[in-house]
Amino acid sequence: MKQRALWSAVMVAGLAVAGCGSAARTESPSGDSQQKQQKLVVWDWKSSEPTAAAYIEKAKADFAKRHPGVTVEFVAQPFDQYYTLLGTAIQSNKGPDVMLFNGGGQIRDRVDALLPLDQYVAGDKSRLAGWDAFSKDGKIYAAPVTLQGHPIYYNKALYEKAGLDPANPPKTWDEFAGDCAAIKKATGASCFALGNKEGFGIQFFMSGLGSGILTPEEYDDWIGGKRDWTSPNVKRIFELWKDANDKGLNNKGANSTAMFTDIFRVFETGKAAHIIGLMSDIGHWKDFGEFLPPDKIGVMQAPVVADGATPSLPYDGGIGYAVAKWTKDPGLAADLVRSLTSTDALTAFYSKAGAIASDTTIDVSQAGPAVAAIVSEIKTGKPALHVALSSKTLDLMGRLSQQLLSGSTTVDKAVEQLAASDRTG
Amino acid sequence: MVRPAGSGRAGGATTKQRGPREGAAVRPASRGARAERLAPYVLVAPAVLIIVVLRLWPLVLGVNFSFTGDGELNGTPVGLSNYLELAGDPLFHTSLRNVGLLVLLLPVAVAIPGLLATFIYLRVPGHRVYRSVYFFPAVLSPVIVGAIFNLMLGFDGPLNAALGAIGLGPVDWLGDPGISMFTVVGVHVWATFGMALVVFLAGFSTLDASLLDAARVDGASLRQVIWHVIIPSLTRTIQFVFVTTMIGMLTSMFGLLFVMTSGGPEGSTYLPEYYIWHQQGQMNRPALASAASTVLFVVMLVVGLLQITLLRRAGRQD
Repeated sequence: MKQRALWSAVMVAGLAVAGCGSAARTESPSGDSQQKQQKLVVWDWKSSEPTAAAYIEKAKADFAKRHPGVTVEFVAQPFDQYYTLLGTAIQSNKGPDVMLFNGGGQIRDRVDALLPLDQYVAGDKSRLAGWDAFSKDGKIYAAPVTLQGHPIYYNKALYEKAGLDPANPPKTWDEFAGDCAAIKKATGASCFALGNKEGFGIQFFMSGLGSGILTPEEYDDWIGGKRDWTSPNVKRIFELWKDANDKGLNNKGANSTAMFTDIFRVFETGKAAHIIGLMSDIGHWKDFGEFLPPDKIGVMQAPVVADGATPSLPYDGGIGYAVAKWTKDPGLAADLVRSLTSTDALTAFYSKAGAIASDTTIDVSQAGPAVAAIVSEIKTGKPALHVALSSKTLDLMGRLSQQLLSGSTTVDKAVEQLAASDRTG
Repeated sequence: MVRPAGSGRAGGATTKQRGPREGAAVRPASRGARAERLAPYVLVAPAVLIIVVLRLWPLVLGVNFSFTGDGELNGTPVGLSNYLELAGDPLFHTSLRNVGLLVLLLPVAVAIPGLLATFIYLRVPGHRVYRSVYFFPAVLSPVIVGAIFNLMLGFDGPLNAALGAIGLGPVDWLGDPGISMFTVVGVHVWATFGMALVVFLAGFSTLDASLLDAARVDGASLRQVIWHVIIPSLTRTIQFVFVTTMIGMLTSMFGLLFVMTSGGPEGSTYLPEYYIWHQQGQMNRPALASAASTVLFVVMLVVGLLQITLLRRAGRQD
């Protein structure tokens, strides 16, 4: 009897604490903060790549000059699992001192675990571009390393074969559609290379073509958080997405073609004339260069779809290094972040990996017309539309975009759901 | 918890009786009796501790987390709101529906190895080759299998090219929400049926050959032999394969889903495991993921209990 009563008591106590505790730990880590730290641990998914080796070396050297005696360890995680691993580290409040983030939703969702860097990086603010993607509520949480954006690349060879002038890409959507029809007729290549297996295609589409659809005021409001999902121009983005597919502008099987592997191959091998690609990491001018000579790759501005739109290059901070809240010496860790964004290091990253680095003082005149076109537009460029959305809304948008392509939902219904998701954050 | 039935209460009663006497004089005999009384607990303790610390305690923590919030609400009790969110999330509904679909497809997944094993047992020409060929995919990891079939089933892949050659339109195996779940299950069955096949062959080896001979002498057709002789003799094997195939389907599809569809298209190939991983790793919603895990736990508990009942009933028949 006594035993049973005891067990009941234990059960009751167990249930009583349900709802206390937390999924991610809140208390600060134990440990002696006075103890002098000799080692900084950095997590990223870049440092193991051969193209990033020179960059990491330069950054390490710069840091060692200012802080001899402090060792820095780079731990390269697989990107597939990066945010899962990071999530686990954040929950246990233990882990790297400095870590790499993608700009936008990925870092904004996790700022609770990060240290605001404003006081440390003030000196770099004008030299580097792309801070917005690493800021939340007016505070900076990471320093940008690369700029990530969505230029529209086109295959000049296909333009020539179709008898079009590759130096004069189309300016409006009607011209664009006309040129595509001509290319299709002459070469059989589709207009867009679109991979939407993961639901990323719509993000590229929205940002790549958005500046040709929204008016500058609408665009700025969208980025500023005042997103009017009922506006006809916002709806136009999704109508165009569906329309382009229905009219056969995309390669076939877009919903089962993977974005980061298969679809770039489609563009590189000349099976599609245009692709909304990236500026850094992968899927950019240097990547395409493996198959297409640099002088055959062009970058065009978004064709104007709606009156009153002013095309601009959509870009944000791509990847950037942040400092964990639990690091023992925030100043030291922040100094490492500054070394990782020094001009020397970033120049090495640009020349070896082909990334468009965040440092605006780097000379890119040697790299060919596509890079020149991208860099010349950075001054007038604006943040990409999709980066302003939460990862939850982006996730939903990916699924809805697949439904739009397969015809199992309508534009009105999709926009309505997105508006609801965007409102709740 | 785990203790010999009735031992606790009996022990308690003797303690009470002996209590006053012990204070006066402790005799060696009573010390020995106490050691004997405690021995089972001491011996069981390591196992119990391992289960409690490494299994039950994390489980309680997980359930506990599912009642707290995410992000800014981290650590604050939010009652049932995570569960309400799950109830309203069409993606979670899809993932549970897909579990149902897997259960419905189970007979097919069991019938395929069963039938092939029967053919091998009946020594169709080339049965030795088939035995090793059928088992071969079972040694491949899901990631490799997924990558192979990604290439095979791509929209402009070889399978569609072959279909095109005989005049059939291309099928978007992994891009059509009505087809992709069946595609993934099909690939999973292809990759795993070798194991079930081996179990079936083991079952066949216990089959009484004289029964088959008798049936043949009586002029039974192949279908009659399978239906009236082989299936009744293999009841236990079939039940065992049912249970293991079910467990395999519900717990080890993640790798294939991850590589082949990433839950898409249109979220049509989500399973609860994938949903949990997605919420925890991609959406940064650990508490919501805990709630989904709890629901999955309950589902698996029900399935597991049903299976135990099934196995027990099978045991009783013998």
